[in-house]
Amino acid sequence: MKFAFLVAWREYSENAKTRGFWISLLMFPVIIFLSVNVSILLETKATPVRHYVLVDQSGMFAAIVDSRLAQLTPRPQPGTNASGAPQRPFQRASVPAMIDTNADLASLARDLKPWLRGEKNVEANGREVRLDAAILIPRDIDKLIVRPRAAKAGKSDATNGIEFWSANLADPRLRDEIEQAVNGEIRRREYLARGMDSAAIREVEQTRALFASLNPAKEAGREAVSGADVIRQWAPSGFVYLLWVSIFAISQMLLNNIIEEKSNRIIEVLLSSVTPGELMMGKLLGIAAIGLTMVSVWMAALFGVLSWKSGAAPDLASQLLLALKTSNLVPMFLVYFLLGYVMYAAFILALGSVCNTIKEAQNYMAMITMIMMIPLLTMPFIPKDPNGAVARLLSWIPIYTPFTMMNRVNASPPLFDLIGTTLLLLASTAASLWMAGKIFRIGILRTGQPPRIVEMLRWLKG
Amino acid sequence: MNTNSPADPPPLELRNVTKFYGDFKAVDDVSFTLAAGSICGFLGPNGAGKTTTLRMILEIIKPTRGLITVLGRPSALEVRQRIGYLPEEKGLYKKMKTWSVIAYFATLKGLTRKAARQRALELLERYGLKDFAAKPTEALSKGMSQKVQMLASIAHDPELVILDEPFSGLDPVNQQVMEDIIRDMAARKRTILFSTHVMQHAERLCDRILLIAKGKKIFDGTIAEAKRILPRRVRIETDDDIGPLRELSGVISAQPVEPARGAAGPNDSTHWELQIGENADPQAILQLCFARGIRLRGFNQSDPTLHEVFMRLVGPEAREAAFR
Repeated sequence: MKFAFLVAWREYSENAKTRGFWISLLMFPVIIFLSVNVSILLETKATPVRHYVLVDQSGMFAAIVDSRLAQLTPRPQPGTNASGAPQRPFQRASVPAMIDTNADLASLARDLKPWLRGEKNVEANGREVRLDAAILIPRDIDKLIVRPRAAKAGKSDATNGIEFWSANLADPRLRDEIEQAVNGEIRRREYLARGMDSAAIREVEQTRALFASLNPAKEAGREAVSGADVIRQWAPSGFVYLLWVSIFAISQMLLNNIIEEKSNRIIEVLLSSVTPGELMMGKLLGIAAIGLTMVSVWMAALFGVLSWKSGAAPDLASQLLLALKTSNLVPMFLVYFLLGYVMYAAFILALGSVCNTIKEAQNYMAMITMIMMIPLLTMPFIPKDPNGAVARLLSWIPIYTPFTMMNRVNASPPLFDLIGTTLLLLASTAASLWMAGKIFRIGILRTGQPPRIVEMLRWLKG
Repeated sequence: MNTNSPADPPPLELRNVTKFYGDFKAVDDVSFTLAAGSICGFLGPNGAGKTTTLRMILEIIKPTRGLITVLGRPSALEVRQRIGYLPEEKGLYKKMKTWSVIAYFATLKGLTRKAARQRALELLERYGLKDFAAKPTEALSKGMSQKVQMLASIAHDPELVILDEPFSGLDPVNQQVMEDIIRDMAARKRTILFSTHVMQHAERLCDRILLIAKGKKIFDGTIAEAKRILPRRVRIETDDDIGPLRELSGVISAQPVEPARGAAGPNDSTHWELQIGENADPQAILQLCFARGIRLRGFNQSDPTLHEVFMRLVGPEAREAAFR
C-alpha cells in the first residue's frame, strides 16, 4: 500500500499544479459570488433602460400607460444611496419634432422607422438615446375594441388597432405591460359605461381567502412551508449538478493521466516498481484527493459567500444558507461524490488502460458521457415527484444512484430506498473495481488497436 | 551493497522459460544464468523475444512455463528495490521537473523523498545535466531525456540493472555517455543485462552475450567464444596467381573479395580472403608467398566481427535487423 500512496501523492501533487485544476477550483466560488452580486447589480444598474415613444391620438391611454410603466421601477435595497437607486426599466422619450403625430398610423410608422432602426436617436431627459419601441394608438381606437356577444369590432381603414413597433422581439415585457394597462383602462371605462362601480369591482377582484401550505414532516407549530422549505426542495438539484460536474471533471483528469503514461511509455517503468493493483489504487486515490480538495473548496466558498451575503431580512442567501444548515445536503453530497467517483473511475481506469491515445479513448468516453447524461436530463423532474416511480427506479440503478438519491435527499425518501440503494451502490462499486483491476492488469501493457468488448469480457474470466 | 560470494545465488537465473501469446510462442524454452558483477549483452533480431523475456524477468508479464529467479527470489517484485529497469519504449512525465522525475522513480524503489532528491541532483550533476534539473522534461532534447530515463532507472543504485535497447536513438556522443554509465555500474560490481542491435556496443562492453532468435536461445557465451564460431581470415592483395595458397594446410577457402576491373573470371581478382582454421598460423601464408614469389601489395589478418557471427547465427532474419 505504501507504493500506492506514493503514486497517489504524485498524482495529487502534479495535478494540483495544473492550470485546469486551479481554474475549476476558483471558477465555482467566482460563479457563486457573481450570481449573488451580479443579480443585484443587474437589477439596479446594468439593466438597460428601454426608451419608447407613445403617440396616443385617442388621448385615452397615455397617462395610464406612463403610470403603469413607472410602477415597474424596482424598489431600492435597504441602505442604498441615491446613486445606487434602481433605474426605470422603461422611459418615455419625446416624439421627434419633425414627426406629425396627427398623421395616420401608416404614415407615422413610416416616418418613425429611421429612429426605430437605430439610424437616428430620440431625446429623453435631455439626452440623445436609442429608440426601442413606438406605441401608436389610433384616434378611432374605441371602434376597434372587441366586446363579447357584441357585433364584430369595427375595422379601421388604416390599422388593426394599437400598433407596437419594435425591432427587439426578444423582450416582450414592454408590449405586455402596455397591453395590460390599455385593456385595464378599457375595462374600467366599460364598468363605468354600464353603470357599475369600478372601485367596488376592484375591491371585489382583490377579495381572496388565506391559503397556507403546511408540511406534516415539520416540527409541530412550525409546519408552515417557508421560502427556505421551497429552496430546500430545489437545492438538491444544484448539488446534483455539482456532483455531475465534479465527477465528470476528475474522471476526465484520470483518463488523461492514464493515456499520458501509456502514450509516453512510462507505464512499463512504473510496472517494474509497483504492481498493476498498486498503480491503479494510487491513481484512484490521488485523483480522489484532487476531487475532494475541489469540492471542499466549493463547499467552503458556498458557505462563505452565503454567510457574507445573508442579512437579517429573509433574502435568498439567508434562506439558502438556512436550507443548507438544516439539511443533510452537504454530508450526503460528500458520500455520493466519493461513491460515484469510485464507480465511474473504475470504468475510466479500465477504459484508459486499453487505449493508447485520447482519440481512441474518446470513442468509449462518448458512450460513458451519454450514460451520464440521464441524471442531468431527469434532474429537473425528480424534485417535483421525488418519491415517484421514475425517481425510485433510477435510484436502484447503481450508476444513477448517486445523482438520483442526491436529488431526493431532502424529500425524506423511504429508509428502504436510502439504505438499500447505498448498499447496492457499495457492492456495485466494489464489483466495478474488481472488473477494472482485471482489465487494467492486461490492458495497461497492451499496444495497438483497443480490444473488442468480447475480448475484455474474456479477460474478466481469466 | 553488493556482497556476493560464490555461495550466493546468481543475480538472475532462467530455467526453461516459455511464453505464449495465444497460439504464438514468443519465447521458447530459454534458460540462462547471469554471474554477479557481469555485463551481459542480450542480442537478437526484431521480434526474437528479447523484450518479452526482459518483461518476464521483471514480472511485468508472467511466463507460461518455466522458472525465473531474480536475486535469489522467485518474484522480481519481492526484490524490486534492488532492480533497475530501462524499457525499450522510453518516456517521461512532460510537465514534471527533471530532478523530480528521477526522485519519483527512486522513491518507488524505496528511497526516502529526501534521499531521492539528493541522489537525483547528484546524478544530474555527474552526467552534465545540472542546468536542466529544475526544468520540465519537455524542455530536454531526445538524448538528454534518454539519459534522464537511464538515471531514473539507476538512481536507487540497484544490484541488477536491466536495460532494453539503451543506445537506440542516441547520437555517438550520447552513446558514449551511456557506455560510461554502464561501465561505472560494472566497476561497482553491479550486474547488467542489456539488449541491443548494435554489435559494437556489445563487443565493447560485454563479458558475455546471449543470442536469441524466434524465441529460442541460439548462443550463450563470451565474445571470444562467439567469434570462434566463424573461421579467422586473412586478406591479401596481389596481381599474381594465389593457387599455391589454396593447397596450404590450415587454409579452408580462398574467395575473391572484389573482382578486378575488366577481369575475365574470379581468378583474375586482386583482393582475396582466405579463411583459416582455428590452429592455422597466418605467418605460414606469408612465408609461402615469399617462397613462391607471390608479390603482395597488402596483407591483413583479422578475427570475425560479432556482426558477422550474428549474421551467421541468425541467418536471413539478421537482414531485418540490419535495416534498423
